[in-house]
Amino acid sequence: MAVSTDPESQVQVRLFAGLREAMGWSEQLVELAPAAGGNNTAGPTPEQLWRQLNLQPTNPPAGVRVAINQQFATWDSSLAAGDELAFLPPISGG
Amino acid sequence: MSWPSCRQSVVVKAMLAIQLEAEQFEPLSALAEWHQLLAARLGIRPAAESHFVGRVRPSGANDAPLTALELEHYPGMTEACIASLAAAAAGQHGATAVLVIHRIGLVLPGDAIVLVAVAADRRGPAQRCCQELLEALKHEAPFWKREWSQGVGSWITGNTPL
Repeated sequence: MAVSTDPESQVQVRLFAGLREAMGWSEQLVELAPAAGGNNTAGPTPEQLWRQLNLQPTNPPAGVRVAINQQFATWDSSLAAGDELAFLPPISGG
Repeated sequence: MSWPSCRQSVVVKAMLAIQLEAEQFEPLSALAEWHQLLAARLGIRPAAESHFVGRVRPSGANDAPLTALELEHYPGMTEACIASLAAAAAGQHGATAVLVIHRIGLVLPGDAIVLVAVAADRRGPAQRCCQELLEALKHEAPFWKREWSQGVGSWITGNTPL
């Protein structure tokens, strides 16, 4: 994970509630690695970023959901530069 | 029971009023204001209404006295999600209008957390829409609750039984 000042090559990652407090940070910019080559230009998935950021536990808990650009998404969605990725602990509204 | 998802895209025909409230609110006053809005927009108030008010319990999950309940949300996504859920529920049941007021921040025992009100032409759609929307809010709208008791905060990881 490299530090970059170019927002065009980064994903904004946000944490909420208990997950934020367990990890000790609420948001950070993550540099997207260049495509490995060939025709595979798909970006990383939320699951890959979860591990890259050393979020705990290593395997995302079943109750944690992800949102990309403030829309619920799946763990195998492909992220693109400029996206906002949020890891959402179990929801408890109403 | 199944409920709508925030992912659904629907054509909004009902009057939707969505509000996140950082301060204490009085549900009956909010309903009175909503009635005035309905009368102004529709010319007449719909024949049937169903309301739900949720309040903070005096004790927490471990039965200890509760000092306060803290509600965190995801600014932007939470409001959009509530609007999407309300539109989907109203569309499914043919409701005329929906009001949702949801607290954020610190809420004291006895204070209202949520008000859901649905107006429709008949009681069945009003009641079913109200219940379905409330359940959807509990499970699909990005809110998180933390119970504060004796100076200690504990995040809640689920919902109370229906």
